Amino acid sequence: MKNSIQLILAIAFLGAFVFNDVFAQDSGQIAELKQIKQDVESLKPGKSRFLLRGYAHAGLEYHDEDDELTFVGGAFNPLFVYQQSDRLLFEAEVEMKFEENEFEIGLEFANISYILNETLIIRAGKIFVPFGIFTERLHPAWINKFPNFPLGYGHDGILPGTDLGVELRGAAHAGNLKYNYSIYAINGPQLDEGAEHEDDIGKLIYGNIRDNNKNKAIGGRIGIFPFSNSSLELGFSAQFAKVGSDNSEFNDIGANLYAFDLSYIKAIPAIKSVIDIKAQTNFINVDDADYPDPEDPTGVETFTFNNKSEAYFIQGSIRPSFVGNRFFQNMELAMRYSDIQTPEGAHWHTEEDQLDIGLNYWLDWRTVLKFTFRKSGQGVDESEEEHKESGNAFFVHWAIGF
Amino acid sequence: MKNIQIKELQLWAMVAALILFLSTVVISCSSTSQISAAKGGAQLWGENCLRCHNAPSPETFSDTEWDVAVMHMRIRANLTDEEADKVVDWLKTAN
Ligand code: HEC
Repeated sequence: MKNSIQLILAIAFLGAFVFNDVFAQDSGQIAELKQIKQDVESLKPGKSRFLLRGYAHAGLEYHDEDDELTFVGGAFNPLFVYQQSDRLLFEAEVEMKFEENEFEIGLEFANISYILNETLIIRAGKIFVPFGIFTERLHPAWINKFPNFPLGYGHDGILPGTDLGVELRGAAHAGNLKYNYSIYAINGPQLDEGAEHEDDIGKLIYGNIRDNNKNKAIGGRIGIFPFSNSSLELGFSAQFAKVGSDNSEFNDIGANLYAFDLSYIKAIPAIKSVIDIKAQTNFINVDDADYPDPEDPTGVETFTFNNKSEAYFIQGSIRPSFVGNRFFQNMELAMRYSDIQTPEGAHWHTEEDQLDIGLNYWLDWRTVLKFTFRKSGQGVDESEEEHKESGNAFFVHWAIGF
Repeated sequence: MKNIQIKELQLWAMVAALILFLSTVVISCSSTSQISAAKGGAQLWGENCLRCHNAPSPETFSDTEWDVAVMHMRIRANLTDEEADKVVDWLKTAN
């Protein structure tokens, strides 16, 4: 009897001890869990958040014209995207590069967007002008399938790049047809009246920090997706502007610009590949004017020309994304034809075309090695400036988006 | 002078067309359609995120980073509200 009481007591004592220990352990774990939860919650991001991204590229180029082999680039474009709330976003990109032996830094864009409703967004600041698709969507080095731009694009091109202004944009469905649109008012292009280079008289100057008149350039783009799988997009852009400065004899001169663009992307299982086609054609019409003839020292003689320019490109690429071999999956063959014509009679008259053929190797979705051969067609180029946009050339470039 | 009047007329006509267009956008169009409503985030990602550049895989970013990147794309790449919402949800579950 005595023994069994002792045994019961011993068991009870042991049980209490074990229970106590387990309980202590449990409450310790609970406290620990609470602490972890608190720590995690303190790390939970608020509504505002940002991304620091961007891209960089550099390479080696051989230009037939001057028979030189040069390392080029070292361009670095940091991109800052700041999400202030579910509706407000700020984006800005700085462009840093070497040009003609000098370090250049520029503000590519800086703008805020506010989502007004499902189908309407307002954006203001320095923006990519939504004129066609190349500049706004395809030019970043890790997206562009070539190390160079098609003829007519870029900072010295004949087409709009970035500008200051305000834009409404969005995407919606009309029935089952998806479309997107953008409408904007910007400072717009200015007529080159020959102040800096007499030879440039009659050209349009883009990306002006200050307007030369009260008139704003107004334009827009509409893109439609005829197929419900979004594989094809057809776009039309237009822009109207007064381009002469208010206090000059050219104050009446206006310009209208039009562009058509096409994007088509399709996976074709039969050839285990994805094909990608992009094209854009641009028409730039500036009213005729009588310009002072730079060759006449008395300044009485004038000259004029039919101030219409055109530029277009078409590119196609194929990537065997669905083949078994990893190496071939990452290869891409790309071809682009581009053509430019500026007014006959202008001192900046040019008629050129070129073909770029490229073999790209994608290290990941935004890191690429490009091997491009450029063949320039017959062309006249009456402008005296030297430029590397034409002539046969060979490029080896890398580009990374991060 | 006549030239200027014509241009002003053109401008007003454009402004009128613009207001008309915008009101139709706001009133009659929606960010979804019968066809797109039936699609999931993965499919919309596969159809849209490769149109301009190679499509990024979900592991590229964390949830919060995806929030910013997709909102950026919604604006920059003119995605519909529905596409952006469904794609971001899918990317966040698949990363
Ligand atoms: C209409 C063209 C277009 C489409 C469609 C598009 N993108 Fe982009 N995307 C761009 C461009 C242009 C950039 C480069 C932005 C820059 O550097 O200025 C970019 C950049 C990015 C980046 C890098 C970070 C950033 O925010 O710039 C990510 C991530 C990205 N896109 C994801 C996506 C996803 C996900 C989709 C599908 C929902 C998508 N994109 C669809 C054009 C597009």
